[in-house]
Order: sequence, then C-alpha cells, then structure tokens
Amino acid sequence: MTGGRGLHRSSPMTNFVLLLALVGVVLAVPSLIVEGAILLGVACLAITSGDRPAQFFRRLRFVTLFALVLFIAQALSIHTGQVFVTSPVRITAGGLLAGARMALRFLVILSASALFVRTTDPDRLAQGLIRAGIPYRYGYLFILALRFVPFFQDELRSVREAQRVRGIKVSVRSPRRIAHAARYTFVPVLVSGLHRVDSIAISMKGRCFGLYSRRTASREEPQSGWSLVALGVGGLAVALAIVAARGRWI
Amino acid sequence: MPSSERFDIAISKLSVRYPDRDSDALVGFSETIAEGEVVAIAGPSGCGKTTLCRTLAGFVPSMIPAAVSGDVCLGGESLRNVAPEALATRIGLVQQDPDAQICTLSAWQEVAFGPENLCLPAPEVRARVERGLAELGIAHLRDRVTTTLSGGEKQRLAIASILAMEPRVLLFDEPTANLDPRGVQALFATLSDFGRTEKRTLVVIEHRIDALRALAPRLVLLDHGETVERYPARERIDYAEAGLRGAWALPAPETASGSPRIVVDRISFGYDEALWRDLSFTLREGEVLVVIGPNGGGKTSLLRLLAGLASSRTGTIERSRGTQVGFVFQHPHHQIFERTVRQEIKLGNPRDAGGVDAELLDARLAGLDDAVPLSLSLGEQRRLTMATTLARRPNLLLLDEPFIGQDRRNVLWMISRLREVVAAGGTAVLVTHDIPLAAALADRVLYLDRGVQLLGPPDEVFGRLRDLGEIAFTPETWS
Repeated sequence: MTGGRGLHRSSPMTNFVLLLALVGVVLAVPSLIVEGAILLGVACLAITSGDRPAQFFRRLRFVTLFALVLFIAQALSIHTGQVFVTSPVRITAGGLLAGARMALRFLVILSASALFVRTTDPDRLAQGLIRAGIPYRYGYLFILALRFVPFFQDELRSVREAQRVRGIKVSVRSPRRIAHAARYTFVPVLVSGLHRVDSIAISMKGRCFGLYSRRTASREEPQSGWSLVALGVGGLAVALAIVAARGRWI
Repeated sequence: MPSSERFDIAISKLSVRYPDRDSDALVGFSETIAEGEVVAIAGPSGCGKTTLCRTLAGFVPSMIPAAVSGDVCLGGESLRNVAPEALATRIGLVQQDPDAQICTLSAWQEVAFGPENLCLPAPEVRARVERGLAELGIAHLRDRVTTTLSGGEKQRLAIASILAMEPRVLLFDEPTANLDPRGVQALFATLSDFGRTEKRTLVVIEHRIDALRALAPRLVLLDHGETVERYPARERIDYAEAGLRGAWALPAPETASGSPRIVVDRISFGYDEALWRDLSFTLREGEVLVVIGPNGGGKTSLLRLLAGLASSRTGTIERSRGTQVGFVFQHPHHQIFERTVRQEIKLGNPRDAGGVDAELLDARLAGLDDAVPLSLSLGEQRRLTMATTLARRPNLLLLDEPFIGQDRRNVLWMISRLREVVAAGGTAVLVTHDIPLAAALADRVLYLDRGVQLLGPPDEVFGRLRDLGEIAFTPETWS
C-alpha cells in the first residue's frame, strides 16, 4: 500500500484525521449543502486516489440502496412542515428533508470510511498512532479489526465452496431456510473467527506483545505533498461547516 | 540474564490434561535438553507433541486452559509462573498453522512485530527484519499483504518473524508442513547454521524425519503422551519400524486404461500474470495424478478448477457424465459444519449409529464422536474431512495436502482409502510436497512452477527435474 496515487501516498495519520474531520462535520452540521459538498469531495479524493468515477459509484451501490431505504423510512415517519401528499401516506417537507439529510450523512460516512480503508495501511497507521503518544494496544486493536476483514471474506468464500462440494444447499427463500443458511454459513465462519482470535492472541503474546508499556515504531514515515492536500480538504470541510452553521444553510 | 548462563531445559514429570478430554495429553514426560542441542520430537498424530511445545512456550495453561503437573525449568529457573510474553524473550514457538500466527497485514511489519515489542532501537529492528526475510528467502515479499501469500510463503514468514526475535530456544511445530521441498531444504540449512553459529537450542516436532537430516537431531519418540524410544543424534533410523514417515514401499500402481474421466484443454491460471498457460491433460478412470511444485505455483488453484469451483481464463474442462467430485481441502476447518464429530459424519449422509461408529473407527476417530470437531488436532480434522468426503462416494477425488500432520499409519490409511476409490474406477488428483510418497503413489506426476509444466510418468518427470537442477523435487534427495 506504499505505492499508488492520492491518499495512498499521504501519511496514514493524515488520512485518519481527515476521516475524523469529515465524519465529525456531517454529524455536527445538519446541512444538505455541507453533506452534498463533502460527498463530492470524497468522490474527488477517491478519483485522485486511483478510482475510476464509475468504479467509485459502483462500490457505493449497496450503500446507496440502504440510504434510499433510510430516506423512505424518514420521509414516511416524520410529519412536520408543508404537507405534499396526504393519501395513501402522508409526506411532508420536514420528512423529505430529514430523509435526505439522513441518507446523505449515511453515504458520506460509509464512502469516506471505505476510502480510508482502501487507501490506508493499518500497520503504518498504528505506528503513527504510537508516535502520536496513543498506547500501542489501542493502535493494534484497530489493526486486528482490519486484519479480520479479508479473513472473513476468505473464510466465507471457502465455506461456500465447501458447501458446494459437500452438497449443502443454502437458500434464503423462507425463514427455515434462512436459519439453515445461517447455521451452515455464518456459524462456521464465526467459530473459525473465534478460533483465529485465540490463536492470534497466542501468537502476539509469543512475540512479547504487552511485555513493556512502550514499543518501537520502526518504520520511517516519508512525508508527502498528498498529506497537505488531505489536510487541506479536511480543513475546508471544517470551514464549510462553520460557515454553514453561522449562515443557517439548510 | 548474563549471556554466559546456560539455558538447559529440564522437563520433569510433566502431565497435561485438557478440560474436555478424559485422558492426559502428556503423561509424566521427563527430558533434559542441553543448550545448543537439536532435538526432534516425533510420534503418532495426537500423541502430545504440540501440547509439549505449547507448554514449553508457556501457553499451557496460561492461555490454553489445562490441568498441569510437573515442572519445566530453563537455565535452572522454573517457568511455572512466567507469563508467555516474558518467556518469549527466551523461547520462540513457530506454530503449526502459519495462518494462525500472522497478526499484521504486511510481510515486513510481521517480521518487525516481535523486535518492536522488545523495544529494540529502530535501526536494529530494521536490520533484523531484513536479515530474517533474507534468511528465509522471502525478501521479495516484503511489501506483500500477508493475506495474499500462499501457505508456504506464510510458513516462511512465520518462521522469519520468530527468528527475528533471536530467542535462545526455538520450538518448531511441524515447520515443514506447508513448505515445498526447496523451502524445506533452505529452512533446515538456515536452522543448521543458526544452531551451529549462534548455539541455539532447537526443538523440532516433525512427522517427516527425513527432512531433518541436515540437522542430525537427537530423536525422542512419543506415544500417548509418553516417551517410548530415544535415538541418539546421527543414528540411522529405520523409519517404517519406528512408525515414522520417510521411505515408502507401496505396491506399484496399475496402468490406468479406463475411459476419460476429465479432459483439460489449454487452461491458464494466474492473478496479475499467468502462473501457467495452456495446460492440457486427460485423466482416466483408475488413474492417480500427483501434483507437485513450489509454493505459490497454483496447485490448489488447479484443484479448484478441476472441482468446478473456479473458472479458467482460457480453455475448457470437461468431466465425464456421472462424475461425482470429492474434494478434501488443505484447511480442514473450512469443511466442518456440525457441532459434534458424529453429526459431522452424518451430515448429508444419514445412516444408523452402527454405520457412523464403523466410519469413526476406520478413520481412527473412535471415542471422539461427541467432541467438537474444531477442537480436534489438525491431523484428526483432516481424517474427519477425508471420511466425510469419501462417504459421498466420489469418483473424482481431489486431495489438497492431506498428509500434513499425519503419522505413517494415518498416511497409509489415507492411501488405502484413495486406492479403494481408484480401484472402483475412480480418479484421484493429489497435491503434496512429500516427494517420496508422490513417486510411490503416482501413475503420473504433474510439476507446476511459474512458466514450467512437466507432466508424465514419475521416472520421466523426476529425470527432467534432475536435468533442470531441481533436485529438491526428486525422491533420491529425501531417501
């Protein structure tokens, strides 16, 4: 992950700060303009980091679907402001606005987080956190969480292949079949994950993890112009949020 | 501790019993291992070898619950109350399953992990990482994401990550399990130098004692948790008599002349670039094909293609009508779905209690019918998945490294079951790094490496490998 373009080249700590800034702003400022601008900013960062525009939006298709569900749920359940429709369901301006905010906020948080995971080397991030004075155990909690993402993907693929060669048919067409699928898919993956947690704990202890209160951060972190760009985007998002809050933008 | 202090290991009347078992994994085991000595521990699957390693490294009972009696002393100091992370400065354990040992996402960082925990200065950490990667021949993998490495590459990485900590005592739990023959030779050459120049104690658990020849170890044979035999260093051992893997005297396979079972036509495979191209062969009923080659050469991928679990970029694979595929994976836990061994045997093949008992007995799993399958040893899990696969009566049997963690008796059981399938008109494709076994078992051998594909009768393929200078892949190197 040391090569690549854009955020791949900025320091992991910068990416982390940028993620915190973007998520913090969309949570703190309920503004459609701010959320839309930040989503656009995330898309630009993704494209400069090597994603093709179509690829960026394709990656978001399931998230977008879920955001749409959130929008509809909010629009149908909040009844404030001007009424647009009364039958068969009541749709108001307040509901639509709340739904749009919720959906956009969801899209920003998920897309920014996905971009962060794709462009940030967790090992380097943990080293950055240690350099910043954060206890290394917390940094490694983060690494381990990310270590398990590809693990679960691989396990799921292998378990599905094993089901095929064992003749186990999995479907989700009825509650009974869903329970069957969960038992023969998620339970093996989960059990395997728990075993892996145990064995990795042994492996870490077996290499003196936790012996001392500090540990060495041995990898040098080259500075890159992209770190400044990322920080600039984060700063811009915060400035936009402040202006939006003062100007009471919707 | 001062460096002049001796680090002899004294194990005295060590007994270990796990909570879910009704017999001891180790029974009053006593042994003294002098500093700088090389000791191999061998014995049947489930005889207590891994338990011994884990106890010496301090993981039993502090992290793996068990009732322990007796004592282990290192340099005269009892290790009874020493935490594993403190003990790890002196004793390093390379675990059996490299996947279970890797805890970071980049190869470089994985090797740096231990030295960083030791709070060594950053330049010293970097120097140890480079040395560790170079010694195991994996310097080219330094920037690779660990999850993308092959099983053998992960094994080398796991070993490099322990060597980088430079412990005085090194414990290896089946270090050759996932290594190709070239890697086995390189590993033991490295360990031989390491033991000689650095005067480190090496304790190696290994089924394939032939692989340890470069180390000329003292050998301790275990059975049912007890020492049954000791052989001094450099003694010539009759492997078969000692129940060990090494030489194989199997009846010669009959020439397969049945109908085509599977026709492979110009298939290719690779990730970023093709590992092999235009691979073509026809497998007949009654034929055994053994696939050998270096780690990362695409052997498992070939099995997945033959099983129809993956698609080739080019070419076609045609299976004859009525082909029933049975596939024993390299990692058995992927194929285990039930909560008890008995339920696992019955899954997909309902039968009466007597039938299940017979299969358990046949697979040497009797008495474990109510055990949780994932709590079994790796060797036991492999026999379980072999039994559940054979229960579906496959006529195209695909076996991915089934002999890892198996003693001689279990290997012979697997071979007899494989030959039953073949004798009934089935076809078997076996991936293994055990070259003597490949030579004894195969009708044809397929050697797969990047850009090199050799296919033919064993003598022909091994002869060509000899000509290519790949002597690690020839049987005489291991006989």
